[in-house]
Amino acid sequence: MVSNQKKEAYYTATQMQLVRTRFFGNRAAMIAGSILLFMIICSLFSDFLSPYDPTIKGRDKDYENGAPQIPMFWDENGFSARPFLHTLTKYRGADTNFRWVYKTDKDKRRYVYFFVKGWEYKVFDYNINLPGKVFDFKIPGFKFDRHLFGVEEGGIHIFGTDKSGKDLFSRTLSAIYISLAVGTLGVFISFVLSLIIGGISGYYGGWIDSVLQMFTDAIRTVPPIPLFMCLAAFAPLEWSSELRFFFISCLLGLISWPTLARRVRTHLLSERSQEYILAAKLCGASSTHIIARHLLPSFTSYIIVDLVISFPYMLLSETALSFIGLGLREPVNSLGVLLQNATKADVLLNYQWYFIPVFFLVVLILSFVFVGDGLRDAADPHKVK
Amino acid sequence: MINFIQFTLTRAGLAVITLLLVCFIVFSLMELVPGTCAERYLAFKNTQGSQITYEDIEKEKIRLGLDKPFLYRYGKWVSNIVFNGDFGDSCILRMSINELLSGRFTLSLTICLVALLFSYLIAIPVGIISATTKYATLDNTLKFISYLGIALPNFLVALCIMLFMTVYYGDTMTGLFSQEYENEPWSSAKLMDFLSRAWLPIFVLGWNATAFALQTVRALMLDENDKLYVMAARARGISGMRLLWRYPAKHSLGPVINSIGFDLNRIFSALPIVALILILTEAGALLIEALARSNDQQLAGAIIFLLTATIVFVNFITDIILAIIDPRIRKGVMGGG
Repeated sequence: MVSNQKKEAYYTATQMQLVRTRFFGNRAAMIAGSILLFMIICSLFSDFLSPYDPTIKGRDKDYENGAPQIPMFWDENGFSARPFLHTLTKYRGADTNFRWVYKTDKDKRRYVYFFVKGWEYKVFDYNINLPGKVFDFKIPGFKFDRHLFGVEEGGIHIFGTDKSGKDLFSRTLSAIYISLAVGTLGVFISFVLSLIIGGISGYYGGWIDSVLQMFTDAIRTVPPIPLFMCLAAFAPLEWSSELRFFFISCLLGLISWPTLARRVRTHLLSERSQEYILAAKLCGASSTHIIARHLLPSFTSYIIVDLVISFPYMLLSETALSFIGLGLREPVNSLGVLLQNATKADVLLNYQWYFIPVFFLVVLILSFVFVGDGLRDAADPHKVK
Repeated sequence: MINFIQFTLTRAGLAVITLLLVCFIVFSLMELVPGTCAERYLAFKNTQGSQITYEDIEKEKIRLGLDKPFLYRYGKWVSNIVFNGDFGDSCILRMSINELLSGRFTLSLTICLVALLFSYLIAIPVGIISATTKYATLDNTLKFISYLGIALPNFLVALCIMLFMTVYYGDTMTGLFSQEYENEPWSSAKLMDFLSRAWLPIFVLGWNATAFALQTVRALMLDENDKLYVMAARARGISGMRLLWRYPAKHSLGPVINSIGFDLNRIFSALPIVALILILTEAGALLIEALARSNDQQLAGAIIFLLTATIVFVNFITDIILAIIDPRIRKGVMGGG
C-alpha cells in the first residue's frame, strides 16, 4: 500500500523529477549510464591518463607491434605491493630464425609509479584553424606534464603498441575523445537544423509543410553512406586534420537531421491545435514567442531522448566513414581510424590487441543505446509507476 | 473507389517528383567529385604513351557534351535512363554500365531484401515480448543481443565468421559463388551454391538492422499498450498473445510497414563495407570501388539512382498497402467506411 505522503509526492512532482525517478529505477539504464559517464570522464582526462603522446611523437621505437604489458603484483620471485613489469629486451639470432622477438627478463623488475612526469600536454588550449583569417583563434591554456602512471625506464603499454610503436592505450583514450567530439558536434548541427526545418514545417503546416516534407523525404531516400562518401570524396587530401575533423562533423550533422525533423514536425502538428496555444495566440503572442516559450518546452524531454538515441548512429557513421578511408585520417585518432587498422586477418591471428579499441566502441555504443532506451521509457508520460 | 484511384495517382505523382529531386541531388553530388570524364579518357591515353595537351581535353569535353550547362546535362542523363534505360558508359572501366550492372544489382537487392526480412522476423516478436514482459531481465537480455548487432561493427562479425569457417571447414566463404559456378548461367545447383554463401552477408546485415527495427517496434508497443482500447479489450476478458496480436501489435505494425523503404536504405548503406570484407561481386562493392577508390561518377550515379528508384517504389507500394489495410488511413483516403 502506497502511503499518502508518497502519493502526494508523486502527484506534485514536476515532469523532470518523475523522469529522473523512473530513470534511476531502471537498472540496465543505470549501469549503462555509469559506464557511459565513466568513459566520458576518462576521455576528457585522456591526456592525464595516457602515459604516452597518442601521436607519432609518443612512439616507442623499441617496442613495435608489441603485446600488452599488464602490471603484476607477484611472480616466481615473490610478491610486491607496488605493481611491476618485467624487462623486455629485443633479440634476434640464429635460434629465432633472425626474426625480432622479445625476451623477458624476470629478474629485472620495473616498478610502476603514480603521478609521474611524462610528455607535456595542454589543457584549455584551443587552436582552431579554419580557412580565412577571421576564423583563426587561439586560447593559450595551461601546460601540464603529470600523468597517472608510468615507469622510469623502458615503456609501459597496457594495451600493447601498433606497427609504428604508438601506445594503443593512449590512442584509444584520445580516439574516444575525438569520436565523441565529432558525434557531439554532428548531433548539435543536426539538432539545430531539425528544429528549424521541423519547426517551420510543423508550425505553419499547409503548403510550406508539404514542400519541406518532400525535401526531407528526398534527403532520407538517398542512402547515407554513399552520400557521405560523395561529400567526403569532395574534401581535398591536403586539408589540415582540424579542418577535416570539422568538415566530417558538419557532414554527419547535415545528413542525419531528417529523422529528428520529422519527429519535431509531427509533434508540433498535433500540439499546435491545443487550447493553450490558441489562448496564447488570442493574447497576441508572436509566432517566435509561441514556438520558443510554449511549443519547445512541451517536448524537451522527447528531444533529449532523440538526441541520445541518434548519438550512437552518429558514432557509427563516423566509424564507417573513417573505416573506408574517407573520414578522419591517420594522424588523428578516432575509433574509426583504429578500427581500420584491425581489419586484416593477419591482425586477427597475430596481433589481437589491435581489437581492444573495438571493444571500447562496442561498449560505448551499447551503453548509449541502453541509456537512450531508459530515457525514452522514463520520459513516457503515459507510463504510471 | 474513385477516391482511392485519385489517392494512388497523387502518390505516384509525388513519388516521381521525389525521384527527380533525389536524382538531382545525386547528379549534383557527382559533379562535386573531382575530375571529369574527358580528363579520365585522356589520362588513360597519356598512360598509353601519347602526349596530351589542354586543347585535347577541351576537344574531348565538347565531344562528350561536358561543355553544355549543368541543367541540360542533368535532363539528358535522366531522359536517357527513363526513355532508353541507358546509363551511359563508365569512363574508368571503359564499358557500358548496363552491362556491368546487369544481374549484380538484382543480386545486391535480393541480399538486402532477405536481410530486411530476417531483421523483421526477429525484431517484431522480440520487440513485442520485450515491451510487454514483466521480467526486466528477459527484456534486457533480448535487447542486449539485438543491440549487439548494431554495436559490433559489421566487418568484425563478417571477419570472425570468415576466420572460423576457414579454420574449421577450410572454406574462406568469400565471394557469392564458389569458383566452378562463378560464370555459369543460373541453375538449381548454382542457386544452392549461392545460398550456402549468401547467408553470411544476410546474417550480418540482418542482425545489424534488427536493433533499429526493434527500437521502433518496442517504442510503439509501449505507447499502444497503455491506451484505453487495449484496457477495454482486457476488461472484456481477452488476454495473452491473442490480445497482443489483435490489438496493440496490429497498430504498432503500421509505422513499421511505413519504414520498410528507409530500412532497406539503411541496409544497403551497410552492404558496401560487408562486401568489401567478403569480396562480394555485386553492386555494393562496385559502389564503394567507384566512390572511394576510382571516383567513377557515372557508375556511382547509376547505382545510387537504381537504389533510390527502388526505395521510392517501395515507399509508394507501402503507402498503398497501408491505405488498404489500415482502416484509419483508408477512411481518410476513400471517405466513409
